[in-house]
Amino acid sequence: MIHFYHVTKRFDRYTSALHDITFQIEKGEFVFLTGASGAGKSTLLKLILRQIRPTDGQIVVNGRNLNAMKRKQVPFFRRELGMVFQDFKLIDRMTVFENLSFILTVLNVPPREHKKKAYHALRAVGLHHRLTAYPPQLSGGEQQRVAIARALINDPLVLIADEPTGNLDPDLSADIVQIFAEANLRGSTVLLATHDRDLIRSSGRRVITLEHGRLLEEKMPTVERTARGETLFGIGSA
Amino acid sequence: MAREFTSSRGEPEVPSNTFAYFFREALRRIWISKRTSFVAVAMIAMSLFILGGFVLIAENLDRAVARWKDKSRVDVFFESEATPEQIHAVDAYLASHPNLRARRFVTREQAMAQFKRDFANLSGVVDQLDQNPFPPSYQNEVARNAVTHAPFNREMAELRALGGVEQVQYDWEWVARLQRLVDVVNLIGLIAGGILALAAAFTIANVIRLTMMMYREEIEIMRLVGATERIIRGPFIIEGIVQGTIGGACAVGLLYGLFELARRMIAPSSSLLWGFLFATFLPWQKIAAIIAGGTFAGWLGSWLSVRERVIEEA
Repeated sequence: MIHFYHVTKRFDRYTSALHDITFQIEKGEFVFLTGASGAGKSTLLKLILRQIRPTDGQIVVNGRNLNAMKRKQVPFFRRELGMVFQDFKLIDRMTVFENLSFILTVLNVPPREHKKKAYHALRAVGLHHRLTAYPPQLSGGEQQRVAIARALINDPLVLIADEPTGNLDPDLSADIVQIFAEANLRGSTVLLATHDRDLIRSSGRRVITLEHGRLLEEKMPTVERTARGETLFGIGSA
Repeated sequence: MAREFTSSRGEPEVPSNTFAYFFREALRRIWISKRTSFVAVAMIAMSLFILGGFVLIAENLDRAVARWKDKSRVDVFFESEATPEQIHAVDAYLASHPNLRARRFVTREQAMAQFKRDFANLSGVVDQLDQNPFPPSYQNEVARNAVTHAPFNREMAELRALGGVEQVQYDWEWVARLQRLVDVVNLIGLIAGGILALAAAFTIANVIRLTMMMYREEIEIMRLVGATERIIRGPFIIEGIVQGTIGGACAVGLLYGLFELARRMIAPSSSLLWGFLFATFLPWQKIAAIIAGGTFAGWLGSWLSVRERVIEEA
């Protein structure tokens, strides 16, 4: 679904934000992308969204070579993706329903279907009772769930999240990851960027780690058991 | 369930339900940025008001010129000793000329009677004369627009060379001058109005630029969720068009208000010139053209600013 072949991204002549990155994410996978601040996570996500182009290498998302993609085709490509951000990126002057309806307008969904689709998307994140609320009236966790509902409203092939739990309490973070897991079960490929190692450890998913713009060896989680018999996930060799 | 990726080819860039969204958003943004929108509308209105003012003056002068052209006349005066043959020869010449319409032969007695009618206070002076000083003449109506043709003027001058003709009088030189003045007024109006409309378009461009700055985050979100540039630009283009159209309509409204006021307050007590200037308002075609000019200036301004932003984002 997402293929990086020897991708390098430089913003100036001397430093590489990403250097010779190669990996593949298959359809239906749920993958964590991690690394310290400045490791290149956001750059990698921007490359997938085709916000920026690689300096070297090839990127293929859902069979489409992003290097060869014309600018006019980018919006249609992005409609196949769902994007969730750390700062939610909701429009404060619009109600929760309008934030979702606005996307449906962009996606050419007839207005008569907006309410039904928005309701279903919000029910999936447990916020169907807040249709008329404005984002500032919601808690951080609720805002993020609205943002996820917006990303899911079009059943995206790929769901990309950039630090979606960065502003949330640990309990809320687990709820958010659970929503992503449910979207993954419904068929969306999920790539979730986070530096929350506890979250990664507890999920038991594949991890892609970046460090100073380079890809570290990919890790698969190891399962440990506590003395009380609870299951814990750690990161071991693949 | 996630859909399979399909080609975007053939998919419309602007969804069918989006035009209503364009208008709704444009009107909402104008309402939110009332003050800046007001400045843009006022600029357009003032520019088109000035342009419209020139067009209105030119329109009225033009009508006056047209009226005078209809009434233009050439008078051919004969010598006292002109023979009937000579008069017939001149008559034949005048009858065959394509730019001369109806003509009337005025005898010496008729000329004198007309003088006494027109200048009653001088009739006593004429009565004291030994003989009638007025020569016989032909009064000819001239075809419309012929007076501004140089060859016609030359031909009328050449009438003097015919036998028995003493003088040829035609007083349309000032009509031709007035026509040139109308052309100059039109040209000045077009140039001044054009420059001002262009300035207004740039004002609208700046207003749209400000609005785009205000909605920068929203535009970013739209781009990320797959909105095409047309969907992003649409409300801004409509915003400019609406501002320009309102500006054009305000200009016409203001012009009409002042025209009516001037006609009622100034024209009746003033000179003939005022009567000419305030005879009639603009025809609907010119009103429509002024409003369309506002629409165009609004479109141009918004197009310039969104184009600039798209280039920046590319």
